[in-house]
Amino acid sequence: MAAAIILGAGLERYYAERREFAPRPQGEAPGHWSAVPVSTGADGCAEVRLAVDGLRCASCVWVTEKVLQRTPGVERASVSYATGRATLRWRPGETDLPALAGRIAALGYRPRPLGVERRPDRGLMLRMGFAGISALAIMGLYEGLYAGWWYGAMDPRFAALFRWTALVVATPVALWCASPFFAGAWAGIRHRVPHIDVPIALGVAILYAHGLVATVLGKDSYLDSLTMLVALLLVGRLLESRERRRATEAATALAAAVPRTVRRARGSTVETIPASELAPGDLIDVGSGEELAADGVIVAGSGLLRMSLLTGEAEPVPVAVGDKVVAGAILADGGLTIWVSAVGDETVVSAMARQLEAAAERTAEPTSADRIAPWFTAGTILVAVVTFLAAWHFLGLGEAMARSVAVLVVACPCALALAGPLATAAGLGAAARRGLLLRSGDALLALADINVVALDKTGTVTAGTLTVVDAEDAVLRLAAGLERYSTHPIARAVLEEATRRGIPLPQARKLHESPGAGISGEIDGREVRLGPGAPGEVLLTEDGQPTARIRLGDLTRTDARQTLDRLRGEGIRVALLSGDQPEIVERVAREAGAAEVMARMDPTAKAIWIGERRRQGDRILFAGDGLNDGPALAAATVGIAMATGAASSVLVADGVISTESLAPILGGIRAARATRHAVRLSQRWAIVYNVVAVGAAVAGLVNPLVAAILMPLSSVSVIWRASRVEVAVRRAER
Amino acid sequence: MKAILILLPAALFVGGIFVVLFLLAARDGQFEDLDDPPERILHDQD
Repeated sequence: MAAAIILGAGLERYYAERREFAPRPQGEAPGHWSAVPVSTGADGCAEVRLAVDGLRCASCVWVTEKVLQRTPGVERASVSYATGRATLRWRPGETDLPALAGRIAALGYRPRPLGVERRPDRGLMLRMGFAGISALAIMGLYEGLYAGWWYGAMDPRFAALFRWTALVVATPVALWCASPFFAGAWAGIRHRVPHIDVPIALGVAILYAHGLVATVLGKDSYLDSLTMLVALLLVGRLLESRERRRATEAATALAAAVPRTVRRARGSTVETIPASELAPGDLIDVGSGEELAADGVIVAGSGLLRMSLLTGEAEPVPVAVGDKVVAGAILADGGLTIWVSAVGDETVVSAMARQLEAAAERTAEPTSADRIAPWFTAGTILVAVVTFLAAWHFLGLGEAMARSVAVLVVACPCALALAGPLATAAGLGAAARRGLLLRSGDALLALADINVVALDKTGTVTAGTLTVVDAEDAVLRLAAGLERYSTHPIARAVLEEATRRGIPLPQARKLHESPGAGISGEIDGREVRLGPGAPGEVLLTEDGQPTARIRLGDLTRTDARQTLDRLRGEGIRVALLSGDQPEIVERVAREAGAAEVMARMDPTAKAIWIGERRRQGDRILFAGDGLNDGPALAAATVGIAMATGAASSVLVADGVISTESLAPILGGIRAARATRHAVRLSQRWAIVYNVVAVGAAVAGLVNPLVAAILMPLSSVSVIWRASRVEVAVRRAER
Repeated sequence: MKAILILLPAALFVGGIFVVLFLLAARDGQFEDLDDPPERILHDQD
């Protein structure tokens, strides 16, 4: 109970540490693992995917894998360092999940059940591979046919064989591989939002129909171009979905912070059960450092509850029997038995998170390629029809058919469709390498337009942890001796500093903690007490005489100044929004170098401020870490959550900073700008290319061979430009 | 040129084998994690 000191000590203005202090319950009884759903394969093997926390290096992965693989009954075990995921496959009779999870935990890593995860899109991969291989095969066949244009046509029977073979290979490509584009186009037409899939589907359909007719008539067709285009477009789709999955995976891993197990009291016994099995009316025990899994009323015990992630209120609140408590709060100190009144979706925190999610659900902005699509389609059809009529009148039906088909073929906006996904995938990757995980390509492109960066203070610009600012070694030694077994925020700060300085801890005797008054004990034969002092300080008394003070504070992140200076260098204004006292906010603003300072803002005020600025035309990035930052995250053009923050803030944000630093904001904006540049350039060139190609087709200059050479060329230029995004970001960093 | 009548089906057959191998590999999840396997060679062996 010693932590009640923090109130008496006037430390309420300091935010206590969050991440280190609130570890998820570790070394849990293996019981709850038996409740994790396991999928069973056709061969009778059970399979499951887990998150494994604490993998620090590639050798951790290796050790974990080897240990698991040597466990009898394990069929397959693979651990990914990149994603922190383990895939386990075992024969159910010989071992089980609790045992395997126990093996991982015994190595010092923390296995964690995963929530529902999106499986990688295998269908897309299969289609892309098939289309690619088919494209190569058809290219070979058509090369032979094209060679005949110069070296004399091949025997018509063999030419027919080649064309029919190509048609057979191209058919699954057009009908199966290209099906995502047809599905997309159909959905777009049905919902009256014609997007880029419409002209693509049109192009593929016409290419294939022409191929069918031409093959029957014994003429060369565009089937080689068709397969190549489908393969390239699928590469774009695949990259897009891969990047998106990587981002969501990272975000869900961070968001899965809700405790998965609880200790339910039944009469005189306590059992560990999955949180999902908890029902209103149950009694649960909560220990120090644990997160509450349900709303309820305290029926026994007392403690210090921290609700900063929910309310933004910094100071832990003393709670006792009869008090109402909410899920998501963290018990900083003490022990409670709670009568559960609401669980799962019924809890206050779930309701808040749902509200925020609803608010944050932005309508998917159409990409620039999608906006062009209807005009593009209409224009192409118009040109094709005019070409057909004019050529029919002047040149005859055969030439009219050939030219109008050529127009429709070369107008297929393959490069235009690839420009966005490829550059965005590259940009998302570049941002992720710099510590900013974004949920979507839209968020990345919105990031490019940002002109104001608004930051929450605690946990964002500052570390959000209580740190010893000033203390002598001898004083620290005594204080650390007293606080050795305590878990409250001051104790943590004192112990951390003592460890950092390498001070050996003395053994204290007769330790006694009293709420509000401090902690006392006997060290080296003297009576020592650590208690409340002036605001921001704790006082050390020896034998009743005050002898020294320890100053504590929440430090500004070391890289804040540099990052904010560089943001200004990029022409971005920086504002600091905080619910804290003006003096503190201004001190942090001076240290970090923020231009605008807004203190004493409650969550709604932050959101209103952001909304106001957006109406004035500013594009605002807001970075924050608490659930109380949710409204502001949702109101901002781009909302960025800190990975160390509340799970619910991660859920509503457009992106997550995965490191404990502000630098990813800068890296993300640079990546976004490079991406925007690449997309614009690519699209511009793609349109120029299409216009020129359509002109050539109208003039009758395009035949299957010309199309086969030119069409992939424009796509290749798009791919090349996307690959330059990372280079452009590096150049901006120099 | 009659060789083509044999070679073309033969080539398609061989190509088909690779397609099937690819489909099996993709179905098996071979292409899902492209980051870790390259690092694996750096680990010490038993």
